[in-house]
Amino acid sequence: MSAYLITIATLIAIYAIVVCGLNVIVGFAGQISLGHAAFFGIGAYSAALLATKGGLSFWTALPCVIAVSAFIGLLLGLPSLRVKADFLAITTIGINFIVEALFLYVPFFGGALGIGGIPRVMFFGIKLKGLAFFYLCLFFLVVVILICWWFRRSWAGLACFALREEESAAASMGISPVRFKLLAFVIGTGMAGLGGALYAHYIRFIAATDFAFPVSILFLSMVVLGGMGTLWGPVLGALILGALPEIFRPLVDYRFLFYMVLLLIMIRFQPGGLLGERSAVRRVLASIIPGAHQ
Amino acid sequence: MQLFFEQLLNGIAMGSIYALVTLGLALVYGILRILHVAHAGVYTVGAYIGLFFFQLTGSLIIAALGSMVFCAMLGVAIERFVYYPLLKYPPYVPLIGSIAVMLAIEELCRLIAGPHILTFAAKLPFPEIQLGGITISSTLMAVYCITAGVLAFLWYITSFTELGLAMRATSQDIPIADAMGINSHLIVSITFVLGSAIAAIAGILVGIYYNQVYPTMGAVPAYKTLALIVVGGLGSVPGAVIAAMLLGVAETLLIGYANIPLPRDALAFIAMIGVLMWRSEGLLGSR
Amino acid sequence: MSQALLDIQELSKYFGGLKALDQVGFNVMGGEILGLIGPNGAGKTVCFNLISGVYRPTAGKIYFNGQRMDGTSPHQVAHKGVGRTFQIVKPFGTLSVVENVLVAKGITKYNRFSRIWSTWKSKAEINEALEMLERVGLKDLADRQAGLLPLGNLRRLEIARALLVGHKLLLLDESFSGLRHEEIVQLEELIRSIRETGITVLLIEHNMRVAMGLCDRLVVLDHGSKIAEGRPQEIQQNEKVIEAYLGRKEASDAA
Repeated sequence: MSAYLITIATLIAIYAIVVCGLNVIVGFAGQISLGHAAFFGIGAYSAALLATKGGLSFWTALPCVIAVSAFIGLLLGLPSLRVKADFLAITTIGINFIVEALFLYVPFFGGALGIGGIPRVMFFGIKLKGLAFFYLCLFFLVVVILICWWFRRSWAGLACFALREEESAAASMGISPVRFKLLAFVIGTGMAGLGGALYAHYIRFIAATDFAFPVSILFLSMVVLGGMGTLWGPVLGALILGALPEIFRPLVDYRFLFYMVLLLIMIRFQPGGLLGERSAVRRVLASIIPGAHQ
Repeated sequence: MQLFFEQLLNGIAMGSIYALVTLGLALVYGILRILHVAHAGVYTVGAYIGLFFFQLTGSLIIAALGSMVFCAMLGVAIERFVYYPLLKYPPYVPLIGSIAVMLAIEELCRLIAGPHILTFAAKLPFPEIQLGGITISSTLMAVYCITAGVLAFLWYITSFTELGLAMRATSQDIPIADAMGINSHLIVSITFVLGSAIAAIAGILVGIYYNQVYPTMGAVPAYKTLALIVVGGLGSVPGAVIAAMLLGVAETLLIGYANIPLPRDALAFIAMIGVLMWRSEGLLGSR
Repeated sequence: MSQALLDIQELSKYFGGLKALDQVGFNVMGGEILGLIGPNGAGKTVCFNLISGVYRPTAGKIYFNGQRMDGTSPHQVAHKGVGRTFQIVKPFGTLSVVENVLVAKGITKYNRFSRIWSTWKSKAEINEALEMLERVGLKDLADRQAGLLPLGNLRRLEIARALLVGHKLLLLDESFSGLRHEEIVQLEELIRSIRETGITVLLIEHNMRVAMGLCDRLVVLDHGSKIAEGRPQEIQQNEKVIEAYLGRKEASDAA
């Protein structure tokens, strides 16, 4: 594989990890989040700070990074318990703008210059780069998918599905809306933190704009395109929207417009996403493989 | 003290412009319960079309009218082709659609008119006023007068006409309004016409006020106005106007005096989260 | 007289100036079927929402098994063994029928952090859920998407879910409305069989014939107040009840 392809593949794997996390919040628990890039950023910045200022290795820092992201996710998930869906959408946009502003204007976070000189990940004395780092990302992606797979089968997952469908009925069956929504936020933002840590150690130079609001839109587009609430949808979405810019490189200038038109057509004609219930792809799959409805 | 008053006057102008953009958003939310992010895209288009007609004819009146008509059509097109088919889905579906439209409009403007900043050098036909050593420029006067005019017009429409009554009925409950013989889809379209035409005026005013028109000029208002309709109480038009005025003044004064480290764009959201903690229904919201 | 399972004392709920429920009190004895009836807007569903924790009462007390229960949140009420259905059915639309029932089966897990991580896709759990579906006559539809079922089936699905939660008390909110005659007869059978297993039933009913035939006792509400309480035969002859249902004017005209 050429270095160029490895770069694209690595970024897609990282995006897929983050988007799987967003899918837990939006797809499984039905809580709209338009500020997921903020948690991706919190993961990246805490990893970068722990590595450069704290001198910790990637592996010792990783649990802290995930814990920090998940904890802040828990704090910022609290508004979701108070507010209606529309408020939540706007609140999460607000969180994204505020977090980006903090990165940009607080000197501790490197200000407009961002944080550079983030070391590569070491694995038993070997510097992971290129293909080796891609395999590391792929490993974490597999872990994340396994967690999502199990979550969908667990009582916790079922409780989240029930809340997504009909909150009052779910509550009448002993499901605490507070507890399970926060659980989804914690898992989802934790995954974003993991993705952020990998991103920081891969790019090795991060700045506030990497985690701005349009990035959140990109993540949400990936979930919607792939199919909200499905297991493989986020991965497919990350793959398509991650690879498209490269495939359509000749279009350069029209690329972003093309994206948005694609997203618009998708949301207009197949709001359930490519792998959603009753989608065209799902129907074709079901006709080829009997019993492939899961 | 003189500086303070100048800042205050600028702040009110800022707030007026926010109010003009937020109006459309509040109207649409009130009637369809949709977060119409693409409204700021309509505002950008308004500025561009206004500039185009102004350069073509040299008349601000023709520029304003042309821009309002074009934006009204754009607004209705967004409503018919994007929102209306998506009403049956959960609210985030039209919201994502709206964001996609917003970004697509930005891109179209960039591709057609180019990425650079265009100047909008027009002199607005309003008098300059001297008040105890403070000069209110003709541009500021124009912003004040036009905003006041638009607000008065809208207040008249919603309070004293049959159209206003139909709009209020439709915003209460679409099926019931239909049952009462109101053509609710027409009312929804008229709401978009009103909101979008006002956005066109706002776009032209901002273009002249800053002497700048550029593709991403709608980006910051797009999301800031969302915060404003939340602070005002979702769907409350007076609430949105008050919130817009307060924000305009607060931003200008805080940036001018306090020199706070946060950029002004985050301020609206900080205020919003504060208001939500204090009154989760917003300033003038119900329920 | 044995101790009441549910003891409601001077319960009130005001919405602004509207007195939706005003100082209503009654008891539900263990093992009985009690009907809550009254004209539209009498406050029946408000009363249910207060018992199941959706609303907090403005004043008054609710005792369940001798313990205060007013102000308890809905999911905690469920954990005490109170199951409910909704007047406007609330299926988990995109889940299958059997998954809907499984959500209710999870009540034994949701309060223990260690248990929510086990899987619901086990043979044992699914078979138990299917048994419950068989009981309400929905077994053949187990794999259908719940949101696409007709109303009669949805009402039975709601009862199946509520049964798994309410092993002590079942609150049924107009479960008969919108059903065909045969379906009503089947559902009456089902509710009697539920009572046989020792579960107490409190139901809201609009259809007077069903309420009279099914319930051991009736409580009648009108404009937020209790106007009568007693056995069906007594209620049938109660003048206040006749007035409330026929309207004061017609009643006096008829006299």
